[in-house]
Amino acid sequence: MKDLKILLIGQPNVGKSSLLNALVGPRVTVSNYPGTTVEITKAKKSFDKIEIEFVDTPGIYSISDRSEEEKVTERALFEEEADGVIAIADATSLERSLYMALQILEAKIPTVLALNFVEDAEKKGIRINCEKLKGILHIPVVPINPLTKKGIDKLVDTVAKLKKISKRAFTIEYDDHIESAIDKTSSQMKETSMPSRFLAIRILEGDEDFFKFLKDKRIIAEVRGNLEEHPKVAEDIAITRYGTASFIAEKATKIIPLEKEKKLQEEMDRVLLHKISGPLTTSLFLLAIFGILLYLGNLIQGVFTDLTESLLSSLTTAEHSIITIVLVNGLTGIAMGVSIALPYVFLFYLLLGLLEDIGLLSRFTVNAEIFLKKLGLPGKSFIPLALGLGCTAPATRATRVLSSEKEQIHTASLFAFVPCSSRIAIIMGIVGFYGGIRLALSVLAASFAAGLIWAFGIKKVIEIQSEPLLLELPPYRKPLIKNVFAKSWIRMRDFVYIVIPLLALGGIAYGILDMSGLTHIIVEPFSPITTWLGLPTVTIIPIIFGFLQKDLTGAMFLSVLGSEIPLVLTPLQIYTFGVATTIGIPCIIALGMLIKEFGFKRAIILTITSIVYGLLFAGLAWRTISLV
Amino acid sequence: MFFIQIIFLVKAVDFSKHYEKLLVARAHKTYLERKANYCSHILKMNEMTAYKGTFDNLSGNAAKKPDILKIVKEDVLRILCERRKKTSLEIIKDEIKVAHPLISEALEELERDDLIAIQENCILLTGLGQESAKNILKKHFVLEDYFEKTGSKIEAHTAAHILEHYVSGEVINNIKKLSTLKIEGVPLTKFELNKEGMITDITFSDYGLFERIVSMGIFLGEKIIITNEIPRGIVVKTKNKKFALDKNIAEEIKVVEYERS
Repeated sequence: MKDLKILLIGQPNVGKSSLLNALVGPRVTVSNYPGTTVEITKAKKSFDKIEIEFVDTPGIYSISDRSEEEKVTERALFEEEADGVIAIADATSLERSLYMALQILEAKIPTVLALNFVEDAEKKGIRINCEKLKGILHIPVVPINPLTKKGIDKLVDTVAKLKKISKRAFTIEYDDHIESAIDKTSSQMKETSMPSRFLAIRILEGDEDFFKFLKDKRIIAEVRGNLEEHPKVAEDIAITRYGTASFIAEKATKIIPLEKEKKLQEEMDRVLLHKISGPLTTSLFLLAIFGILLYLGNLIQGVFTDLTESLLSSLTTAEHSIITIVLVNGLTGIAMGVSIALPYVFLFYLLLGLLEDIGLLSRFTVNAEIFLKKLGLPGKSFIPLALGLGCTAPATRATRVLSSEKEQIHTASLFAFVPCSSRIAIIMGIVGFYGGIRLALSVLAASFAAGLIWAFGIKKVIEIQSEPLLLELPPYRKPLIKNVFAKSWIRMRDFVYIVIPLLALGGIAYGILDMSGLTHIIVEPFSPITTWLGLPTVTIIPIIFGFLQKDLTGAMFLSVLGSEIPLVLTPLQIYTFGVATTIGIPCIIALGMLIKEFGFKRAIILTITSIVYGLLFAGLAWRTISLV
Repeated sequence: MFFIQIIFLVKAVDFSKHYEKLLVARAHKTYLERKANYCSHILKMNEMTAYKGTFDNLSGNAAKKPDILKIVKEDVLRILCERRKKTSLEIIKDEIKVAHPLISEALEELERDDLIAIQENCILLTGLGQESAKNILKKHFVLEDYFEKTGSKIEAHTAAHILEHYVSGEVINNIKKLSTLKIEGVPLTKFELNKEGMITDITFSDYGLFERIVSMGIFLGEKIIITNEIPRGIVVKTKNKKFALDKNIAEEIKVVEYERS
């Protein structure tokens, strides 16, 4: 059996992940290149006589090295040693897709053009003649529809037959001055497997990664010096490339005038991108999601808790040996994890994925931008921050979408104030249950206020140059549910593989410490904290151990204080406890994720600062309130 | 930069029905030069096989006979209009360097369409022909003017001579406006909501941003509409795609109002 490795390359929203899904199903593995933070996904599948490994790359608009996504795709293109590329093109905007396809052809990589959204284009009066396109490009062109699986078999067949690139495959001819500069540069190239013409073009475009292929770097200055006609040769190359792409696109496209265009999309945008109704609907949507989550989450969690409790109760009656402690606490941790993961995290990511695939999330990002910008954050940070409402760990990973490390850390630091599902459980289950819903909401408000102060403070201290808003707003589409599920699973994988095992370990650690009677000795030095917070000394146990396993905070709180909370604590004390346990990087798992993303030192500093800040804030809050 | 203007022009022509051949000239000054050679080449030899290479690659089926006939016909009208009097067939044959049978064919068709009258060995324009010829001359002057004003005097005349055959009245109106504006357009931020504009320039100092914008499909000569105003920028629609743009980015995209004929 022959093996093939095929790269999937295309713009954002061109349907790459739907195609991968249609090709192999949702079984994918995610991997990183060292030194980069953006992921590529790989998936293998056996077809008739052939096993094909598909490598899905991040969505980009051009093969270059300016953003992290582009760097990763470029590396995949040259380091994966792929046998070919499926360039996914958008029939509703063919020339733009061809721009990148022409770049891939410049690299002399065997390419199949998969034409997506053919039906959408026809609805817009755009009819593409694939035969004509094939005739000009001299590469296979296959119209596809990943949703109905139309053309997928043909695509696989075509890919399986993919051999060396045809000599007649389309090459852009630049103008004479540029061509001679390309010739001159490529004659000075070292021996490599990459075509020297491609390298020369990239060098003329100013991609420094490729300078190393030159025998003598001085040639660049010389060639540029000779290009009097093109003081901005890089721009002229891009213009020619786009011009050629649009020429080809126009050759292969027939525009049929439509009687009436669909106006629904425009109407939706009139509301969602309006100066006032836009932010309003965005907030309403987010609140509705929050509501749905709390309601459904509560419902599902109730079922799970009943299930696990009956399972665990048979174990707890046994004697207190170390084995039962490990077993009971470990299982409790897993049960907690599952009972939070499924309802809150997965449900939340499902809803978020739905919003994303419908096309709403990009509109929300635009609306959130003005608010986030005030906090010194780019609009793009909306997605990781929203993910933070599920679980901080995957949200930390999602900060990778941001372009600079400063932006990433600044966004991650705000996870201290975005209550994850575990913290929401404390706020609702403890503060809400014993102090009433208004008290619970005021804890959320306090956390929000603390976050604002923090963000403004950071903005004042650190200069963060964030990228200006430049975002494509995809058309509203009917989401593919399978795709949404797959995406939600990828997002919550961290939770399942990292958070749940650690929850179990945290539970076991607490169980052992508790049995050995060391708990009180360990927490003793921390008693000034409870004094500062005006809480009974024993509450230090849930506060400290909550860091090991946030979901145990509630249970520990009850076990140290008894169930008659309103008799022991005043509402103000319940409030203070809520604030103190909400603000701050929530748990050791989040810390671990931060270490993974930003290094040990920065993660520790961030975590400790945020927790100290939270405790200070809680203490100051109750003092101020009691003064009033 | 002549280079950019050609692209712009070519994209502008995009809106007309007569863009096809002109597209061959897109993207390069040298393409235009070649195009000039190429046109006269074809006209001289009256053969489709005379050129190879890029044009083959780009436009497959090359110039068809009717295209050449159209050019010859328009040239005849132009010459007659410029000379403002009866003109002998010899002069026409002299000015249009093309195979004689083609000229005869062109004259026949022009006469049939009642655009010219042939008296003995002399040719003159009819009233209808006058009008038609003036249109062609207008195109020529507008084009020449545009190229001159935007700083490429040398090629202006040649370019105008070629493009006049391909550009529709609609495009001419827009180009005329450009030459009288003498500027590259207004920043997108100052453009009206929901009005159809045309991108005349993209002026980032940073190539990275320039290439990003171009590769996203925001390109010279494309039609663009601001559909929404958002707090820190605008939402635009171009080529079926929507983009949210920061004010600072929108500022560097220059547009003029697009005028329909």
